[in-house]
Amino acid sequence: MKAYVYTDKSLERYAGRFVWLSVNTEAAETAAFLKKYPIPALPTLLVLDPKRDTVALRYVGGATVPQLRKMLDDAERSHRARMEAQTDRLLAEADQLASEGKQADAAKTYDAAIRTAPGRWTRLGRAAESLVYSLSLAGDRERCTARALELYPRLKGTMAAANVASTGLWCAIALKQDADVAKLETYTREAFDNKKIEMSNDDRSGLYMALIEARDFEGDDEGAIALRGEWVAFLEEAAAKATTPEQRTVYDSHRLSAYLDLGMPEKAVPMLEQSERDFPDDYNPPSRLAYAYKALEQYDKALAASDRALAKVYGPRKLAVLSVRADIYMAKGDAKTAKETLVQAIEYGKSLPEGQRPDKRIAAFEKRLAEMK
Amino acid sequence: MKRVLPLALMLLGALSTRAELPFIENDYQRAVREASAKNVPIFVEAWAPW
Repeated sequence: MKAYVYTDKSLERYAGRFVWLSVNTEAAETAAFLKKYPIPALPTLLVLDPKRDTVALRYVGGATVPQLRKMLDDAERSHRARMEAQTDRLLAEADQLASEGKQADAAKTYDAAIRTAPGRWTRLGRAAESLVYSLSLAGDRERCTARALELYPRLKGTMAAANVASTGLWCAIALKQDADVAKLETYTREAFDNKKIEMSNDDRSGLYMALIEARDFEGDDEGAIALRGEWVAFLEEAAAKATTPEQRTVYDSHRLSAYLDLGMPEKAVPMLEQSERDFPDDYNPPSRLAYAYKALEQYDKALAASDRALAKVYGPRKLAVLSVRADIYMAKGDAKTAKETLVQAIEYGKSLPEGQRPDKRIAAFEKRLAEMK
Repeated sequence: MKRVLPLALMLLGALSTRAELPFIENDYQRAVREASAKNVPIFVEAWAPW
């Protein structure tokens, strides 16, 4: 086979797809191998799976070039199927850990899945997005940044790449790492500008936020203002194109953020009033209105909106509404009622069942209250 | 003279069609390390020089 088969040009394409081992059964250094894999006749051809230490294919006798090609194809296919099965299991395990809130463990397992993944693994994008996101939730911003930088080039041209880059960008900004911010901003921008990537308006709006944050971080006020203007125009166009009130209100929260950022809270009022009329049972429109009116320093209107929100809100979200309410009282100069509102928020938070009890938020309120005293 | 050059080129061409599969000689541990790192299987040919 050495003389006629392995020299065939058609085998060249297999060169990098296997590691090739020639075992001279007479040579002293191959004794350990032969003890593990007894060879009854020569030649014997084997395909081994190095990770599992198992035999994937065995053939006693010589092979012609077409026979060998067939064997290699078969072996590669079954190797790939086994690796994919293992990688998919790791991905499912990581998803499970992430949904249990064990973000650091989930990140480790996503990493393991990505490491064992065979080439062209179709779930790489989702695994990479989940990995970077879990790292950011776990507060491991160093690895979040580093992994985003490493994974982006492998995903380039996909929505997953855009999400990996923008999540990494937030992490890098939090770390104040200039060089990493610059690189991840370039990646995010590249994905943002790529017309071939199918992107929901929500996704695009999220990328705007990351890009604006990066401009702010760079101290580029002009660039940040221009981008905010572009973001608002984009959101307004998307909302104008909405064919139902449900579709239109999807943009309310991002539009409110954008208007507040631009120092134009008054522009948020008509849309939020419209949403409140369209969805009288929803606490979101009045709770957002309270925010907008507070920014406009119209405290009575802000409190009235807060009252309407409080009448409808339930669960952990109520703490957010109470927090804004405390801010309104503070801005109004009524520190006493602001404190009472915080006390009320803390009591309510503690009354929530485990699983819904926002411990971090409660702690933040307690700290705030202590500072006010 | 005219025929010599094409013949030489043909010979060179024929030589370059020889594939070189990068066989590791006898070192199983090294093969395992390389295959694990590259995430590919190991092809083994067991033979004897007789």
